Amino acid sequence: MIKKTLIGAALATATAGAALAADFPARPIQVVVPYSAGGSTDLSMRVVADAFERLFDGQMVVRNQPGGGGGIGSSAAIHARADGYTLGAGAQGPLVIKPLIGGTDYQLDDVEFIGLYARSLQVMVACADAPFSDYDAFIEYAKSSKPQVGNSGAGGANQISAEAFADTAGISIESVPFNGSSEARTACIGGHIDAMVASPAEAKAASDSGQMTPLFVMEDERIDLFPDTPTAVEKGVDFTWSSWKGLIGPKGMDEETLAWLRDAIQQVANDEEFKKTLTDMGEFVTFEDGEAFEARARKDMETTRGVLEKLEMLGMNN
Amino acid sequence: MDTIAFLAPLFEPQVLLTIALGTFGGLVIGALPGLTATMGVALLIPLTFGMTPVMGLNMLIGIYIGGIYGGCVSSILLRTPGTPASAATVLDGYPMAQKGAAGRALGMATIASTIGGLIAAVVLATLAPQLAGIALKFGAAEYFALALFGLTIIASLSGDLLKGAISGLLGILISTVGADPISGVMRYTFDIQGFASGFAFTPALIGLFALSEVFTQMERIADGEEPIKSVSGRWPTRAEMSESKGALIRGSLIGTLIGIVPGTGSGTASWISYNETRRASKTPEKFGTGYAPGIAATESANNAVCAAALIPLLALGIPGDVVTAVLMGGLLIQGLAPGPMLFQTNPDVVVGMFGGTFIATIFMFIFGMALIPLFSRILMIPRRLLAMSIVVFCFIGAFSINLNPVDLYTMVGFGVLGWGMQKFGFSQAALCIALILGPLLESNLRRGLLQNDDNVLSFISTPITLLFLGLTVLSAAWPIISRAIVRNRAAQHQ
Repeated sequence: MIKKTLIGAALATATAGAALAADFPARPIQVVVPYSAGGSTDLSMRVVADAFERLFDGQMVVRNQPGGGGGIGSSAAIHARADGYTLGAGAQGPLVIKPLIGGTDYQLDDVEFIGLYARSLQVMVACADAPFSDYDAFIEYAKSSKPQVGNSGAGGANQISAEAFADTAGISIESVPFNGSSEARTACIGGHIDAMVASPAEAKAASDSGQMTPLFVMEDERIDLFPDTPTAVEKGVDFTWSSWKGLIGPKGMDEETLAWLRDAIQQVANDEEFKKTLTDMGEFVTFEDGEAFEARARKDMETTRGVLEKLEMLGMNN
Repeated sequence: MDTIAFLAPLFEPQVLLTIALGTFGGLVIGALPGLTATMGVALLIPLTFGMTPVMGLNMLIGIYIGGIYGGCVSSILLRTPGTPASAATVLDGYPMAQKGAAGRALGMATIASTIGGLIAAVVLATLAPQLAGIALKFGAAEYFALALFGLTIIASLSGDLLKGAISGLLGILISTVGADPISGVMRYTFDIQGFASGFAFTPALIGLFALSEVFTQMERIADGEEPIKSVSGRWPTRAEMSESKGALIRGSLIGTLIGIVPGTGSGTASWISYNETRRASKTPEKFGTGYAPGIAATESANNAVCAAALIPLLALGIPGDVVTAVLMGGLLIQGLAPGPMLFQTNPDVVVGMFGGTFIATIFMFIFGMALIPLFSRILMIPRRLLAMSIVVFCFIGAFSINLNPVDLYTMVGFGVLGWGMQKFGFSQAALCIALILGPLLESNLRRGLLQNDDNVLSFISTPITLLFLGLTVLSAAWPIISRAIVRNRAAQHQ
């Protein structure tokens, strides 16, 4: 403890010159996670905070503000004072899907994108006792009857991704919403639904033990965990989807602060220890700067708009 | 053998100390209203990053077990359910403490929690793979039937059937506020974003039980009534123990079974156990008046759920409740994927967690018993000061869960509602049960209809649904049946 303090003091003296140039952050930075503690968004942000405190002379505190499918916490981050001390975890559901369904007090335009540090890849899996066990059989089955595809909540990211795939592939599915992904998973392993969208980590464990069978990966290229599972793209369906783990903030931060934050998240995303921990958790660690992150969000929003229109959910809660 | 080798790391001083700290921390977290076991586990997951799997996971299990137990402290002493799991303990725990037996009530709760925890841990260690299959049998129809059965508790818990039904239906109506579980349409939110997920459950419970009680007490204080309470003692009397024997065993078994069924959890288990114990009792009228078996039933059930919820998690990789869902995150961070393979790939971790469950339960017993005199001294605080501190805790607790200001209005609103219900003889327990089971009932009814092309017959298609629906009919008709039995006996005696 004393040793740590001494090193800290020594470092502080050494970097005092640099610190004077830009005295941000002078106090702890708060990051609002719009979900309950313990989920993948929350845990990954805690790993970010851990790396941040290791790499920089500052503190990062995670604050959980769940509710409304992430809408409440995201609103808090977007409407926070734009001084760089209150930021948010940028999640796909509340930022691009919720505003289209309606009932939020923010839009995508109100969001300042700081940086994306990981993507959560998605795998469509066949559940126990499903009448299909590979991509071709799935499509074939879907031509005659609607497969029941479970998701983690009505209007949530993986309902949209399943429906968007169905739309692109020209099949129709029956979306079955559950209260959270672990409920959907339970129903899938129990054989109460035909298929669901899962993360590679959970799909891996379940397929090793024969509880689920991977059908296809929603990426451009095959992934390391599932070298034998095709992508939709190689099957001739131009469809990719992943959800994101990133940092956002309110619009209107001064340029110096924003630049500092953008640089900080880039350094965190490239830190070896950070990469390892997050990879072990099943995330796909990658870095995209604010601009690329925003472009990704806007593209996802366009896809979502089409899907919601078809489902008659566009502006439903306005 | 191997098992002994796998258990050895548990007895390293460092590991034991970590489990003890986790259990103690959990106990404190659980006892504070508004801090739940789920939050405790989630917030401490980052601490386990650098630990060995057995050490880190057992610390989390300690927090979980301690947290569910700790909830009974504030339920019994302050009528404030520290966690939703111990809401049912309020029914007999609080009156018992008010009668001057706070120490014995806490002692009973501690013993019951320990017995429930140990019985479920034995089941976990011996039958996990065999029983885990039950978890997979539950589809929409089965959950619907279970929830419907749970709701019949309302009929037997409320003295006045009509008032009980009104409370229950009001609870179900309240539970429909927020996003529709199937279509996502907002219902009754009046464009207030804070209500998008409906009324938050814990703030509602805190208002319903704790704040309403403060209002009632303020009336009494105004009437100048200030009884002196004795809080001594911690071991239940021999008579209390022998009365509670059946309750303890029944509660432990009900808790174990409900714990295995994913997505139900300790709140449901403790209410069902309370009701079944009351139904089996020869003196059902004593329940709700500060009767020790009432505490035994709820606390043995909710702690049995802890160990039992680990069964589907470890054997199948599906979490039994919210806390185990968070625990699953903890496992994944250690690079361990829960599921059938875990027993083969990492038997040391599985056996270590089995062992940790026992150790944490024993620590819980020791800490619980040791702290009783300290806890019960809270009641020595003058009633006026205590009432005011409870109000402060109500606000802190309601806000700290989601940091959502709307939850404060929820808490106050339910406080006023609870006070009014108490005054006019409506059952707060019935409302609470409906709040727990309403969403389970509705979403599974809707999901089942969606999956079966609106065919209602699918709800009576499997043995499990038939079993629960049969129990539902029996349970709803029980007051009539029991009256008939009593009349028959009376006729025979003549």
